[in-house]
Amino acid sequence: MTGESRTLEDFRTEVRQWCRTNIPVDWRRAQTGVSDREFVEFQQSWFQRLRADGFAVPHWPKEYGGGMSSAEQVVLYQELAAHDAPRLVLAFVSIHHAAATLLAAGTDEQRRRHLPAILDGEIWCQGFSEPGAGSDLAALATTARRGPDGYVVNGQKLWASGAQYAEWCLLLARTDPDAPARQGISYFLLDMRSPGVEVRPIRQATGESHFCEIFLDDVVIATDRLVGRENTGWQVAQRTLGAERGMTMLELAERLGNGGFGRLVESCPLDDPVVLDRLAALEIELTGLRALCADFVAGAAPGPADASIVKLYYSELLQRMTDFGTEMAGLAAHTELRKPLSSGWESGAWMLDFLGSWEWTIPGGTSEIQRTIIGERGLGLPREPRGK
Amino acid sequence: MNSNHTDDLAELHAEVAAVARELLADSAPRWATIARAGWPGLEVSAAFDGADAGFAEVAVILTEIGRAAASGPYPAVAALGVGALNHVVPTPDRDRLLRETAAGAVVPIVALAGEGMGEKRFRIENSPRGPLLRGAAEFVLDVPDAGRLLVPAVDPAGEVVLVDLDPRARGLLVTERPVLDATRSFGDIVAEDVSPESLWHFEDGYRCDAVGRLRDRAAVAVACDSLGLSRAMLDATVAHVAVREQFGRAIGSFQAVKHACADMLVQVTVAGKLVDAAVRAVTASGADASTSASMAKSYACATAVDIAGKAMQLHGGMGYTWESGIHVYLKRAALNRSLFGSPAQHRARLARRYSVQAPRRRGA
Repeated sequence: MTGESRTLEDFRTEVRQWCRTNIPVDWRRAQTGVSDREFVEFQQSWFQRLRADGFAVPHWPKEYGGGMSSAEQVVLYQELAAHDAPRLVLAFVSIHHAAATLLAAGTDEQRRRHLPAILDGEIWCQGFSEPGAGSDLAALATTARRGPDGYVVNGQKLWASGAQYAEWCLLLARTDPDAPARQGISYFLLDMRSPGVEVRPIRQATGESHFCEIFLDDVVIATDRLVGRENTGWQVAQRTLGAERGMTMLELAERLGNGGFGRLVESCPLDDPVVLDRLAALEIELTGLRALCADFVAGAAPGPADASIVKLYYSELLQRMTDFGTEMAGLAAHTELRKPLSSGWESGAWMLDFLGSWEWTIPGGTSEIQRTIIGERGLGLPREPRGK
Repeated sequence: MNSNHTDDLAELHAEVAAVARELLADSAPRWATIARAGWPGLEVSAAFDGADAGFAEVAVILTEIGRAAASGPYPAVAALGVGALNHVVPTPDRDRLLRETAAGAVVPIVALAGEGMGEKRFRIENSPRGPLLRGAAEFVLDVPDAGRLLVPAVDPAGEVVLVDLDPRARGLLVTERPVLDATRSFGDIVAEDVSPESLWHFEDGYRCDAVGRLRDRAAVAVACDSLGLSRAMLDATVAHVAVREQFGRAIGSFQAVKHACADMLVQVTVAGKLVDAAVRAVTASGADASTSASMAKSYACATAVDIAGKAMQLHGGMGYTWESGIHVYLKRAALNRSLFGSPAQHRARLARRYSVQAPRRRGA
């Protein structure tokens, strides 16, 4: 073994130790049935606890408080998953999407203003999707027209996770209605406290209200809150979207294959050969998923469809697994249990988790969209004829 | 540094694969050609004129053989013959056979039944005439090509030893067992009071579960084969649907066809990860080798049947013809699925771990 790999093992020991002393005991029960305020407070304090030891934003550049190698990040997320740590659901958009966007395309001033604030707990949401523009983002209709004090924005955004808590929003709006669809879009940093911004949570199939609608009525955004040049928002948005895969998927896969599978085995009768066969089939697929994610984050140059393969496989496997858990648990799976906030997919109530699995096969490009991407970019198959 | 090492290996493997693919493009390379390429000696130590490479390099060749649906005894020799010879306590006879195997001069076939997960079928009994071998095995892969026969047998002390025999030895009956898959050959063996020529003991690390270890290698070898044939079927299908037109456009632009191909790619990708892990685990002979082997065997061989079937479907009527050659892959994929343990048998083996784990986890 090389010296380097010994260091990595030392790091694993260190993280393990950290997990044992820092993960709040019994946090699942403590986070079940709590108010929004208690949820936000818990998320903020967990974030600061991670931050204090350099574990909150390991993927950021060193000068902003990150600088961990990807091998170390893999270890960190494996251990956090293995120890069933709470997830940073509330900071997700700020530390991944907002940070990646600012680092890639923001001005120095924007970076100075927001990156330290994010570390102090500034919460962000993402205003990309619209009622008529989901995966077909080029169809977005929210407009931003230049006025005397900046841009004046009108329109409606949809599926903005956590917008009810957010202080800032990554916003896409059309600045040139006459340009070809992708060329007339600009990228803005929207202060959610601006006059004319209204947020309405949407109640989901699980009963929670994680996603929101954002209504924008003559909202003014100062010109220095434009990211990149005017009408280059499409390119900037690609940087944002590229930030949501990789390590995140690795962590989710570890949680699914680790504690998730363990919980499934515990809820199954182990004297039934049919059940054992299905459990083993799932374990095999989970092992494949974990290897897929580990190789994806370790690979220097991922293939053009690799992120889609990971997302598709994770989400559909999650669905198969929670479906099986629901079947195994019988009627007990349907008793109304409330989900512990700050957790991932797993509440322990299998039907709730099965319902929640559609939060993975629909957003971020449905399974159908992912298959089309895999076919076209991964295999080079001819594109379907498209409307103009 | 680690990752550089991995990159170097990846490059080396890509090169080995490219060379193998070229050699196998000739539809059925003769044993002499395979011997000249040095493949039988890949995993043999340099002391016996081998290449001193490992099972990982053998796996690359096995995968390419699957891609080509090539016939010939290489998989049996590389996975089992060399595997067994490398793990018995050296004797002059063993050394000579290993050297001849590496040179391609002899084809050693291990008498393992192709069906099931590995019950012991041969016994050695003491008699006034000395030790005698008895037993039978069906569906022994490539036994019709055997130059030497290596029979794992339980000796009177209960230990599994390796018996070296001439396939024409007295008391030994080898009969061919034709199968629908024309790229593979099988035979049945019956041994009635055969006198062993040599009798080798397995080395310490192997001794307690020699048959199990060999079967894990065999399972992973078949998984490699299925992975390779899956890749071939995906490539052929993508090439076909990209140019075949119906209703005025390439059928690969239809969502149903495109999505079927995308699913094939996902399955092939996942199978590749599981096979890689199994090859590493079997190479390292760690405690998890059997688990990884079962996962790879079960997943890669089950999905290969799906993929070859999907390939036949997406080639349309042409896919069902003899000329298309897709039936060759479908037959081989389905045979691979049954060979050295079905997916259900391998999953049953995996599941035996749950009842051991569960109480501990509940108690934790």
